[in-house]
Amino acid sequence: MRAYVNERGRIGLSGLRELVLSGTGPILGVGLALVVSAGLILARGVNPLVAYAAMLEGAFGSVAALANTGVRAAPIILSGFAVGLGYKAGLWNIGGTGQIYLGATTATIVGIIPLPVPAWIHLLIAVMAGFVGGALWMFVPAYLCAYRGVNLVCTTLMLDYVAGFFVSWLLHEPSPLAEKGATFPMSPLILPSARLPILMEGTSLHAGFVLAVVLGVVLHFVLHSTTFGFRTRMVGKSPEAARYAGIDVVRWILLVLLICGGLAGLAGAGEVLGLKLRLFDYFEGFVGFEGLALAILVEGNPLGMILAGIFFGSLKAGAGKMQIVTGIGTPMALVIEALAVLFVVAIGFGQRGGVAQPARKKMRGEKR
Amino acid sequence: MDLSTLTNWLQAGVRLAAPLVLTSIGSVYNERVGIINISIEGSMLVGALAAVAGTLITGNVVIGTICALAAGGLLAVVHAYLTVARNTSHLVSGLALNFLALGATNMGFALLFPTERARVATYPVLGPPELRSVPFFGPVVFNQAVIVWIALILPFVSSWVLYRTSWGLNIRAVGEDPHAVASAGLSVFWPKFVAVVFSGVCAGLGGSALALTDLGYFAPNMTGGRAFVVLAANVVGKWNPIMVAASCLLYGAADALQLRIQTFGSPIPYQFFLMLPYLVTVAALAGFVGRVAVPKTLGEPYDPEAI
Repeated sequence: MRAYVNERGRIGLSGLRELVLSGTGPILGVGLALVVSAGLILARGVNPLVAYAAMLEGAFGSVAALANTGVRAAPIILSGFAVGLGYKAGLWNIGGTGQIYLGATTATIVGIIPLPVPAWIHLLIAVMAGFVGGALWMFVPAYLCAYRGVNLVCTTLMLDYVAGFFVSWLLHEPSPLAEKGATFPMSPLILPSARLPILMEGTSLHAGFVLAVVLGVVLHFVLHSTTFGFRTRMVGKSPEAARYAGIDVVRWILLVLLICGGLAGLAGAGEVLGLKLRLFDYFEGFVGFEGLALAILVEGNPLGMILAGIFFGSLKAGAGKMQIVTGIGTPMALVIEALAVLFVVAIGFGQRGGVAQPARKKMRGEKR
Repeated sequence: MDLSTLTNWLQAGVRLAAPLVLTSIGSVYNERVGIINISIEGSMLVGALAAVAGTLITGNVVIGTICALAAGGLLAVVHAYLTVARNTSHLVSGLALNFLALGATNMGFALLFPTERARVATYPVLGPPELRSVPFFGPVVFNQAVIVWIALILPFVSSWVLYRTSWGLNIRAVGEDPHAVASAGLSVFWPKFVAVVFSGVCAGLGGSALALTDLGYFAPNMTGGRAFVVLAANVVGKWNPIMVAASCLLYGAADALQLRIQTFGSPIPYQFFLMLPYLVTVAALAGFVGRVAVPKTLGEPYDPEAI
């Protein structure tokens, strides 16, 4: 996370070094979280080794388990990128939830309309619609943050709830998006032509996972080896320096935030087009917040987010098996995730992320 | 709309607003000292569970309430330690604590009620029957659980403390200009720390009001973002305890209206009223509803060395 000079030819290396360096904090945090959670499991009268073994089996023990881990990891990783990219630019997008809802909505709208095009184009348009939906939902907070200095955290947080209620309204009967006569508020089924392909026969592992991993690698190289990435990190490290270097910081913030919104929108699109095949009322669960935890854990490093995202996915997948074997409920996964983040923050690895804040404040103050 | 419908609606509105008002009491203080505390959502949640658990085990609502205060405060101690003592990001710490509270309460709930969902005792209604039968004010004010009365009185006490006592002056000064406070030889650390813990205690009380007024049970994630409404009320009420409480009451009224629309139907979808508090807050933040008067050092780390 140190500000690297973008030396020609060593760009990729600096990124890898960053990955190794930033790896110690999360691993230590996760380790401590597992130790404390083991204590909690022990307090319930269950052998923690038995519980963790069940969890491992449920996450990696079979093809179906692996597929389950991938299915659960995909949306978390994508919504992690939505936070992580902003984090690199010194911005806190905690509106992942809202952007996921809207991305899922626009993807659903495209996905239920029969289009006279080949299936893969229909799918492509639906996925892109998800990106656009997320970005659109981000537009108001992004504009207010970039041009009027309004606190992004507050606006994105508020719009999370607005999005949930908005989607709920869309799925209730007078709305054209609602399935007629359904007992539970939901949209009609996504057409087969707009569904993400299933990767493994007989499981629910869909192409959204591949999308997440590929996007992560792309994001890593974009951040470390392109002008876009360099400028984004510069805006995050020192807006003053960025302005001095001739970057239009205000417009850059708007652009980065819109991309963040779009990435979260992809998470929503993936869930709807690959797994749920319908838009449901309040379907999002805690994916938006888990993405946030993910980005905090590895300080927005894209490759780190893939690994940590798979870890989070395995926790969620394994928790089900653990519940069957030991009777300890699935919320244990949430507890482990939260403890990992808390430890990373408490140990102080997260503190370096706060360095850019005073600089940003100065910039905002200047604009007023 | 006739009087009985209006009375009925406002009675529900005040009742639904009580948890928000109680939570807002502490939230104003932690924002005034410059610490953002979104973990009040988590404090509310653990407070609600602790209130139900305490009441279930002892059968006494007062002990349940004390459990709620302690549980909410305990979570805030972690937040205070991380943000005030360790200067970590307020947002990150708060989010992680919310997450932890969500997971922990889900597990605690499963532990407490393995099979059925038992109902526990609720806050009593103490209003004398003569007053309860007064038209309008009877139901709206006097036919309410005792916790609602506390919620209606506390904002005035809180406002008096904040604006009329030296404690309050200290609290406001720490958030506006900590360096001036430090150069006057006063502690910056303790007002901040205590205010954050106090916000957790109040949120715990708010959680107990949520669980033990009428309902008498806990449901996983039962707060559902109510504490964020309180954060919103801070913006709309400009960090003034009475104004913030008034905003909370408006949100309560909107919530009650929404429930009525869901039952009786209306051309306006009920989700619109659920969205309204959040939309108003975004508008307020954007400066469409008067000037935003944010405490000066809100969300910033305090560095005693910096000038």
